[in-house]
Amino acid sequence: MAKIKINLIHRIKHLFLHHPWLKIISLILAIISWLYIKYEMLAG
Amino acid sequence: MNSSFLLIYWKAIFEIAILWFIIYHVILFFEGTRAIQLVRGIAIIMVAFFVFQRLGFDRLDWLFKSFFATSVIAVLIIFHPEIRSGLAKLGQRHIFTTQLREEELEIMLKEIGKAIESLSQDKFGALIAIEKNDPLNAFAENGVAIDSKISSELIQAIFTPNNPLHDGGMIMQSGRISSAGCFFPLAQNQDLNRIFGTRHRAAIGLSEETDALIIIVSEERSDISLVYRGKLYKDLGQVDLILKVKEIFKIKE
Repeated sequence: MAKIKINLIHRIKHLFLHHPWLKIISLILAIISWLYIKYEMLAG
Repeated sequence: MNSSFLLIYWKAIFEIAILWFIIYHVILFFEGTRAIQLVRGIAIIMVAFFVFQRLGFDRLDWLFKSFFATSVIAVLIIFHPEIRSGLAKLGQRHIFTTQLREEELEIMLKEIGKAIESLSQDKFGALIAIEKNDPLNAFAENGVAIDSKISSELIQAIFTPNNPLHDGGMIMQSGRISSAGCFFPLAQNQDLNRIFGTRHRAAIGLSEETDALIIIVSEERSDISLVYRGKLYKDLGQVDLILKVKEIFKIKE
């Protein structure tokens, strides 16, 4: 049980600490692409 | 208020989350290879597309769209080796984590331990880099691709003198031997003890640039060392080495 808990905490930490800047940049790019496609669809 | 916002925009949030996942993994996948420059270029073009569209620069928007459409073919031709190997590796990756599973690490360390012990007894030098989080693709590309299961016999065969690959470093990624005969950057530290040869300098050099774990067997003194984040752990036995690697990978006994 303790092992599972440690693994889970490690996974959650990894989620935030592993390449945080890459995650932020990719989120910004995802929002930009989504908005671009939305406006393109509205215009077209 | 918050729940009604989520209900109205759940589709948009879901679509953005999917796009985020795809974009993040594409960038992560190509990080460390020469194709990352291409990914960066595409990211800049995406931002430019959006800016031109919002500011109503129709001619620039049209020009970029036309250029982008034709350049796709050029990109496919120029980067076809990276794209091909990327697609081939896609199925082998753990989608939700880039780290090794505990069982994989256990098997890997058992084989490495056996090989290291034997190489040390025979006074054969060895240099092995194990990928942690930072990709080693750029260094793996300058060696000879192997892509094999880790076995002590194969490691010993590669580092046996007169083998064409024995002089360079071996790279292990995702629990496999990805390449051998690789060149690592040499440490710039001039204060490094003079008794350390090129192998130690290369190990420290690589550990200064990445978070890889590097195992060294010295040819002259036949001792085993581990380098992590620029720090050298000298004169380790097989058991100490395995414990240290596990500690770095944060695996509990």
